[in-house]
Amino acid sequence: MKRNFVGYIVLAIALFLIALLRPYAFFYGVQRGSLYGLIALPLALTLGIVGLLNLAHGEFLTLALYMTYLLFDKLSIDPLLSFVLTVPLLLLFGLLVYKLVIERSLKTHHLNLLLLTFGVSIVMVESLNIWWTSRPRNIYVPYASTSVSIFGVYVGGYEFLYTLAAFIVLAGLLLFLKKTRLGQATYAVGQNPRGAALVGINVKFVYAFVFSLAAGLVALAGALLSVRSSIFPHVGGPFTMKSFSLTAMAGLGNLPGIVLAGIVLGIAEEFVKSIPGYTGWADLVFFVVLIAAIVFRAFGRREG
Amino acid sequence: MKRLFVVLTVLIVALAFASTIKIGAVLPLSDITGRQAANAMKLAVKEINEAGGVLGMPVELFIIDDEMKPEKGAAAIDRLATVEKVDFFVGGMSSGVHLAQIPILKKYQKITVWIGAASYKCEEAIGPDADWYFHLHPWDYLQGESYAHGWRAIIQKYPQVKIEKIFIAYEEGAFGTSSFKSYQEEFELAKKGTGVWAGLMKDLRGAPFKSAALGGGDYRAVLMQAKQYNPDLFIWAGYDADAIPILIQAKEIGFAPKLFVGAPPGWPADFGKNPLSHGVILYGMWAPALKDVSPIARHFWDAYVKEFNEEPATYFAPLGYTNIMFLIEGIKKAGSLDKAAIIKALREIEYDSPVGGVLKISPSRIIKNQGFRAQKILQWQNGVQHVIWPFEYQTAELIYPFPGWTGK
Repeated sequence: MKRNFVGYIVLAIALFLIALLRPYAFFYGVQRGSLYGLIALPLALTLGIVGLLNLAHGEFLTLALYMTYLLFDKLSIDPLLSFVLTVPLLLLFGLLVYKLVIERSLKTHHLNLLLLTFGVSIVMVESLNIWWTSRPRNIYVPYASTSVSIFGVYVGGYEFLYTLAAFIVLAGLLLFLKKTRLGQATYAVGQNPRGAALVGINVKFVYAFVFSLAAGLVALAGALLSVRSSIFPHVGGPFTMKSFSLTAMAGLGNLPGIVLAGIVLGIAEEFVKSIPGYTGWADLVFFVVLIAAIVFRAFGRREG
Repeated sequence: MKRLFVVLTVLIVALAFASTIKIGAVLPLSDITGRQAANAMKLAVKEINEAGGVLGMPVELFIIDDEMKPEKGAAAIDRLATVEKVDFFVGGMSSGVHLAQIPILKKYQKITVWIGAASYKCEEAIGPDADWYFHLHPWDYLQGESYAHGWRAIIQKYPQVKIEKIFIAYEEGAFGTSSFKSYQEEFELAKKGTGVWAGLMKDLRGAPFKSAALGGGDYRAVLMQAKQYNPDLFIWAGYDADAIPILIQAKEIGFAPKLFVGAPPGWPADFGKNPLSHGVILYGMWAPALKDVSPIARHFWDAYVKEFNEEPATYFAPLGYTNIMFLIEGIKKAGSLDKAAIIKALREIEYDSPVGGVLKISPSRIIKNQGFRAQKILQWQNGVQHVIWPFEYQTAELIYPFPGWTGK
């Protein structure tokens, strides 16, 4: 406990110093890290709470981006409003994938689910490639590139929406898991599916609901990201890796930790990028911080 | 008598089928560059066959997808040589894929006319002895040299233009780093008063970024470094997926250098429609506007649109067409399929290409048969890519300085 407390103090001092010395890196890191957290939260829900592996997580994001683009391009629907349509659409898509793929492999080895969702990711990427080609699409809205002044530092304002959305989604998920019967049932299914079934919980429904909900939340992240990112078939793929990394760093089931881990990693990345000559080291630092956090937690647990 | 007639007819038909000029192409078909190059090659073959073929024989084209994977690209050469038994190799895009193909090409030593692979590493791998190898795309160092020639000419015509301080934001992969490295080499020469950039480039800085195509997409740290440096010429060397996000983020941090140059291999769909694109300069081999000043570029454009019901969107389309036409012109001039005669003919012909310019073979640093040596300097103006340099193909006046972000 004392060790953890010291760790958090050290972390807070490091973040404060970065904010003081490199305010741009601090703010950009908070923004970028919040995006990582926002995208990782749905994965943490399926993997950390009910134990469903989904290697197509990033491709769900890609699909959400294409849906948002389509609504903007064909129907001129503002990306920030399109989530009203894309969230239910992706929720249904998640349910479809669950019924076609996930449900059939629930009672088999975890490796099957890993391979199946990997297959889903390939099918999705190649389908998008055939339909849309590999050429990037973009949504341009002037408000996505406006700046705000924070303590005299001019930074992009739009990406703070990632931070806002990450905390709203986090709060919503925590409320759902702790305050609703379905949320409690979700915890129960995650801890012991057979026991949960014995006490009358509809396990299959819980799995289907959580998987679909995660897909829907990805659509929300997609709507926010769509105005700042190019949209192409492989755009979401790297976010699967980042989301798994955050889930590992925060610890399975630790949803607040996902957002915190995302922000810490985001700031570490941006801090390194801000140093001339070391910009290319950002990925290295990302994984060094990740490994350090996992090792630190593992030692703490052993001593405890 | 009747039997003899039948036998003769069968023999003539069989000979006719056997006497086909077979060309084997390797391209990345899932990428728009490869797909449009393949279309353009089919168009060229169609035009040639409709005009009676070459040396009285029809041309047959075999295209294999390398999927941008070196092992697939190398296997494709083997397959074309042993299964389809082609006479010539054409195609190409990625340098990485080509590096894996070069040992296989050396095994067969068939006449090869390659339109991709700009990396000098490919030239080193081919070596000086491959007289059967023709490389049409300018090598990376030739591109760098041509930009210097272009800027020198632009400064003469527009004396207000200055490019003394250059900042390069480059993607951290092989493409971006080799681009930056070649600028660094030129800068070292320029400092000594030699090289093509002497007197032009007084200072050079650069910083890498992770391309959106590889999971990156946050350029603000690099753009901030560039903004603090305040360059005359800002270049980003990345991919099409970086094009619009980099503009959005430059606008966000208020970075508007006097010359904003993008150097990706291709541009995203509808880039020109984005208001931020106005005034962005690009390097490229070709622009759609060339059809207004070059009859062959007009012919290619119209024929391509008619055949495929889409517009050519990448320079690999006219380059793919050039790839086939140049080879066929060489065969025509040689008057036979004799390898030495075709090599000699290819070295002698001058082909007016829809890429914009006359294609003529001359030696480069290592190989004997290099085709194009220069890129063009283009500028996006109100949604259209215009040629600024070479001035003989100029389609619009240069907008200088970069108009910035006000009202966008």
